[in-house]
Amino acid sequence: MENKLLVFSSSPHSKSRRTTKQIMISVCVALLPAAIMGIIYFGLNAFLLIAISLISAIASEVVYLLICGKPFKQILKEFDFTSCVTGLLIALSIGSQTPLYVPVLANAFAIVVVKMLFGGTGKNLVNPAVTGRIFAFMSFTSVMASGWVLPSITSLKSGVSIDPTTGATVLTNIFTNGTLPNLSTLDLLLGTGLAGCIGETCKIALIVGAIYLAVVGIINIGYPLIYVGVTGLFTVCLNGFDFSYFLPSILSGGLILGAFFMATDYTTTPNTTLGNVIYFILLGLVTAGLRQATGIEVVSFVILLMNLFVPLIDKFVINKPFGYQKQKKVKGAK
Amino acid sequence: MSIRKGKNYPYGIHVKDMKELCADKSIEKMPAPKKVYISMSQHIGAPAIPVVNVGDKVTKRQLIGKESGAISANVFSSVCGTVTAIEDIVTASGLKMKHVVIENDGRDEEIFFDNIADFEPKTIIERIRLAGIVGLGGAGFPTAVKLSPATKLDTLVINGAECEPYLNCDYRLMIENTEDIYRGVKYAAMALGIKKIIIGIEANKPKAIEAFSKYDDIEVVVLKKQYPMGSEKHLIYCTTGRKVPCGKMPFDVGCCVQNIKTVIAIKHAIEDNKALSSTVLTVSGGAIKEPKNLRVQIGTPLEDIIEYCGGLVGDTVKIVSGGPMMGKGMISTKDYTRKTNSGYLFLTEKETSLDEPTNCINCAMCAKNCPMRLMPMHIEAFALNGDYEQAEKYGAMNCIECGSCAYNCPAKRSLVQSISMAKTKIKEMKKNGK
Repeated sequence: MENKLLVFSSSPHSKSRRTTKQIMISVCVALLPAAIMGIIYFGLNAFLLIAISLISAIASEVVYLLICGKPFKQILKEFDFTSCVTGLLIALSIGSQTPLYVPVLANAFAIVVVKMLFGGTGKNLVNPAVTGRIFAFMSFTSVMASGWVLPSITSLKSGVSIDPTTGATVLTNIFTNGTLPNLSTLDLLLGTGLAGCIGETCKIALIVGAIYLAVVGIINIGYPLIYVGVTGLFTVCLNGFDFSYFLPSILSGGLILGAFFMATDYTTTPNTTLGNVIYFILLGLVTAGLRQATGIEVVSFVILLMNLFVPLIDKFVINKPFGYQKQKKVKGAK
Repeated sequence: MSIRKGKNYPYGIHVKDMKELCADKSIEKMPAPKKVYISMSQHIGAPAIPVVNVGDKVTKRQLIGKESGAISANVFSSVCGTVTAIEDIVTASGLKMKHVVIENDGRDEEIFFDNIADFEPKTIIERIRLAGIVGLGGAGFPTAVKLSPATKLDTLVINGAECEPYLNCDYRLMIENTEDIYRGVKYAAMALGIKKIIIGIEANKPKAIEAFSKYDDIEVVVLKKQYPMGSEKHLIYCTTGRKVPCGKMPFDVGCCVQNIKTVIAIKHAIEDNKALSSTVLTVSGGAIKEPKNLRVQIGTPLEDIIEYCGGLVGDTVKIVSGGPMMGKGMISTKDYTRKTNSGYLFLTEKETSLDEPTNCINCAMCAKNCPMRLMPMHIEAFALNGDYEQAEKYGAMNCIECGSCAYNCPAKRSLVQSISMAKTKIKEMKKNGK
């Protein structure tokens, strides 16, 4: 006893087991079903893209920290898996025919410019994965927007023909031509017969992952549901209250991935319940509105845009302390 | 004979109980040690002034430290023996305090007060003041001052929540000394001129709830098992529905909160004419051989307590005085029992958290759980940047330092430490007129 030093610190002396690292690993686990379905649907290409994306994300962070002069051992010890989440999300939100250099550059941009230059985990202003995806989309528009491939499992409803070579996704069809997809709800959920990004196609896998995150208490499932619901309802409103638009509008495109995994990123969401409700309602409204106006998938752009409003929301929406009393105005005082 | 459920309060956390370590062990009386070190500042306010000299022979319950000033409390000897030293000792919590050291000579004598003359509020309060009774829940505010409020109160709330993990002393007292508590409560109510008495007990103590249900004039309120139910403001809200406004005290809403141990001390002072000279504490944790609930003489060295509990087994990484949520860490075993002690915990690495703090990831877990509805991450950021004015604007002064924020923080940040520092700085700023 005498020859051993005791730890001296401020209270509390017992803490929950949850750590940042554990949260990030859970998010990666939650994204696994979507990644696996992506590989099943799109084959080797998808696997390669996911692998390259993960590796480049981790490598970007490690190289950046090495350049900063951190010893490798410490980097290993402090590695918190946030870059894995970024890498996975970027891979899942690009098409399966994307050249392999695209995710490398997107990850380098996301990790180094968006995250590390702002101070690392928790200090980024905007979501790295979303911004990385947009970076790739803007820089390589032609390769990113074309070359959609149908999943290897074809539509369960017979007689559906979408020409994958035209590059028109279901969503683009809805908003540019006003044509609803000739697909059953099950098709929409499973992603069979829908051309799309690696991880965005199979909604069921994403929803399973989201439910897992909600069950372990990492995300509050209510907020992304607000986002999805508001988007669907507002799309219905904009299309003359035609409820047949509801399901296609939420089940096609990147809304599910964006709402449950990108918009819920802790760092770029408000701190209060009211703030979060405002934030997610705004996300839904802007997404539906912009989709209608532009005819392209805007989820990631909207998330990036709304991320910038988070500090503003946090400035004005603050919890009132327990027992808070409004200060009475003194009459006659000037 | 009335039991009702307490009001629901949605903010707070669920912590691992750990009470099972010694919840079923009845309170053991630990023999008086060879030497006691009695601190002169075992309460909030001015330290007591020693009224004995080195070499004096003292008897158990003899006055050795006299109160000085309006907020202060008498200190009594807990053994019979000879005063061997009066010195400043830096204890394991890092504070320098004047201690009177008494060597026990093994005599079995005691000094008692005279029988109380009448049961007028003034007489009762005077006796409580004389007996050196302070809030034994941990704060150590002189009870006599608390029982003479400036405004008229209507409800006496007894705090039987004991929401801190590990600790069992209040629970054991509630089932073993029910009658003493009842009588003490009645005297406290008499002193305040209050009819309505409520005792709030957490739902995980069914035996204690049962024990108190036999009294007609005490209302038992069953509280949800939630941390921090035992915080004064939350206890009042859940038992009476009243909200104590920010920066105000319980008496502003007509309530007075008393701790279980305090009311027992009141009973002893008035009926048994005994001054306060011992306390009940829980010795627990994964690193102590036999976790126990003990009645200990004030001034008993911690080392003697460890020995009495069979010594330490396994790796102790942390010794805590009090509960794990709000207790104070200690740098060594050089500590002496004080009136306000509620327990000593010997924690192994598994039980405590030694993780280094990392960046805040803005998950807002702290704000979600804060029972005072504050925004700990903002207050911490302002405090660390030295912007104490902003920290105050975000309500730093309302923090009750319960530790709910830091308990759940995935980045393991020392939120309580930063906020506590901000509070100290804000108080300093106000004192210096900004």
